[in-house]
Amino acid sequence: MPARHVPNAAGVLVVAFLAVFPFVYTAADYDYIMHICITAFFYAILASSWSMLSGYAGQFSFGHMGFMGIGAYTTGLFCHYLYLSPEPTRLCIEYPIGDLYLVVVNPIGVTSTTLTQDCLRQALAAWDGSVAVTPMPVWLGIVLGTLMGGVFGLLIGLLVLRLRAAYLALFTLGFAEILRATISAEIEITRGQAGLELPHLFENGVTILGQTYDKTDKIPSYYAMFLLLLLCLGILTWLSRSKFGLCVRALREDQDAAAALGVNIIRYKILVFVITTMMAAAAGAVQAHYVGIITPNNLFLLQMSLVVAMAVIGGIENFAAAAVGAIIIEFALELLRNSFEIGGVTIDMTIWRLVFFGILLMLTLRFSRNGLIAPLIDHFTRGHVARETVAARTAADRAGASR
Amino acid sequence: METPNIFWGVIGWMIFWGVLGSVVTRRRYLHRDLDTTNANFTGAMLGAATGPIGLVPLWLRTPELTNRLIVLPAIGSVTLIAAAFAFADPGNNCVSNGAFVASQITNGLIIGIIYGFMALGLTLIFSILGVVSFAHGEFYMIGGMVVYFVTAVWLPGINPLLAVLTACLVAFAIGAAFERLFLTPMYEGKVDRPVEYGILVTFGLAFTLQYFVQAMAGANPVKARRFFDFPRLRWPSAEDPWLLRSSRGNVELFDTVSISNPRFVAAVICILVLIALLGFLHRTWTGKALRAVSQDREAAAIAGIDPDRMNMLAFALGGMIAALAGALLVQAFSWLPQVGNIPAMRSFVIVVLGGLGSLPGAFLGGIIVGLVEAAGTGCIPDAQKAASYIPAYGMVVLTLTLLLRPTGLFGRRFASGAHGKF
Repeated sequence: MPARHVPNAAGVLVVAFLAVFPFVYTAADYDYIMHICITAFFYAILASSWSMLSGYAGQFSFGHMGFMGIGAYTTGLFCHYLYLSPEPTRLCIEYPIGDLYLVVVNPIGVTSTTLTQDCLRQALAAWDGSVAVTPMPVWLGIVLGTLMGGVFGLLIGLLVLRLRAAYLALFTLGFAEILRATISAEIEITRGQAGLELPHLFENGVTILGQTYDKTDKIPSYYAMFLLLLLCLGILTWLSRSKFGLCVRALREDQDAAAALGVNIIRYKILVFVITTMMAAAAGAVQAHYVGIITPNNLFLLQMSLVVAMAVIGGIENFAAAAVGAIIIEFALELLRNSFEIGGVTIDMTIWRLVFFGILLMLTLRFSRNGLIAPLIDHFTRGHVARETVAARTAADRAGASR
Repeated sequence: METPNIFWGVIGWMIFWGVLGSVVTRRRYLHRDLDTTNANFTGAMLGAATGPIGLVPLWLRTPELTNRLIVLPAIGSVTLIAAAFAFADPGNNCVSNGAFVASQITNGLIIGIIYGFMALGLTLIFSILGVVSFAHGEFYMIGGMVVYFVTAVWLPGINPLLAVLTACLVAFAIGAAFERLFLTPMYEGKVDRPVEYGILVTFGLAFTLQYFVQAMAGANPVKARRFFDFPRLRWPSAEDPWLLRSSRGNVELFDTVSISNPRFVAAVICILVLIALLGFLHRTWTGKALRAVSQDREAAAIAGIDPDRMNMLAFALGGMIAALAGALLVQAFSWLPQVGNIPAMRSFVIVVLGGLGSLPGAFLGGIIVGLVEAAGTGCIPDAQKAASYIPAYGMVVLTLTLLLRPTGLFGRRFASGAHGKF
């Protein structure tokens, strides 16, 4: 097998391994490992889409977590406030759709007296079990969240069209911060810091291949997130190999030169924004349903730092490397949680691991700007190019010397 | 708010004419082949302030956009918003209560001076290195933490000014070391995109410093004691001190404006250091060299200035200024490892508002942002929401600046070094 196929083969092996992993692994900490895997996939989606946005297109946006939050909160609010009822409640705002009623629950914020304030609960209590209310389907919420992420990506993309480098970074960071402030402040609607509870990804359990899984089983969520990751990576691969990838990289290298050569820079800038923010929003929506709760703290700068660090350590100019980096780092961070003692001093690893991680980020940037995993891939795929160039040069030198 | 329709109606009207004015004026000036640098801003402000009455003459005559034509409509728009608010909500504390307004404005000015001072560090770094330091908030946090640890834990009873000095030295050392270790490849052309590299690596520094401090100091909020007590003053007479009355932690002017001691002390020290800094930049050789590098890097190098050393000095100095702001404010606010995030955001806003790389712009921008935040927290009816939205007020200013006048108040569009391209 030629060396340049090694990364592809390794990729196929990793995917195959991850595809069968939940059935092979049987240790006692099964649920914990599964949980880390799902979170790692979540970060892998964010890191790879962010690397497309920043590494390929050169748009250093620090608002990626904000878009993730938009996806999560859209589906959260959708599932929290909208219900379908066969009977009118006559208490809530409701719209007839066919022979059903779309019930909009009134926002009550964080309170202990739900029964007297929540109009749907009151109606249910009055009906006393005679009417069954259906919640909104989770998948529809996720789709809506993804679309909403795209809409916001479009708006922000339009706003930041003229901005470059530092201005773009500042503006997107500010956008994420404003979003977080809004969500924390509008307690009546978003429940603020108390967090918005979401129905589970598969609330009523799911049956796959004759096997029924409970809603607490990790396997369906694992595959949902894994498939989403594969889908995103597939889209990114397709994009990066098409004209889109070429134009977007031209945009990164020199915007004016690209425009002069006929690249529609406005279109590509907005497109890359919309596509990557939709990926972030989809990941956020699925993760929020998996965890079951979303708080404004999920949008915090720390989360953004994690995504940036994962992408940079993996390799910012290669989204596959960024995804692998994210998975490895998520595992490393989890496994480094154990505190230990040296000479009577307890080292609290829950904090110190992040310090080491930050140092690793800076060192990677300083000494290996393409990350730690991307050069490895390049070594196999492009190593022969270097070898051939060296060989050609020595041959030319010899020919020159003998002449 | 009693009649929100009036207020939102006026705002909608202003936005409509502002957007229209901005777009139309720019096109008109382009069409007539005139200078369009300020066309967007003037059009928007004139449209917002006067509606069609001002826009039509502007469209017909396309006068040269002098400073007066730029500033007057801007003041007009602000006045119009204030008037609409006063009409819509006559019972609001910041409309009916003059003492409250005076107090808010004074405190906005005082905190604005400190904000402006902190932003000065960021703009200094930017004007010389061409890097927006994402670790600015962490220097601020470290300044406060050092002062707390020196005065309350390690050497209780020490003169607080010595602690502030220690904080400055620590921040200066961190800044200088970081610049030497991590920012040098930028100048040697080893990095493809130096601006992005600068953003990422300072982001990494911010992350590391924040968790380092959390690991060392824990995540509980700490607070330092007041540095100085005011003397007890009654003036003009002890029976009727209508002009000035001070207690240990507070001073009251004209029976209305109340200023807390920590903020007052912080603002006074900031002004003193600012004067010293201006003296340093304009009177000493090193200061002049710094300004020369910020104006034209290569010309400065030809004149015998080592730009790399100036880079180190600028980064360390910028970090030190942030640390000083933190060291002075630790007596006013409680301190956490994450405390730097919001001031850092605010500094970014101020620096963009003032014009990236402009020192007077940063100071003026700081005062504007201080006043806007004071107005926001004072006037929004729901006090709890008003406090939660503090980061958002600055962001509104940032968005408007970027849309209307991306170069800021005193910005230079084509600066030297890597920052010519923004």
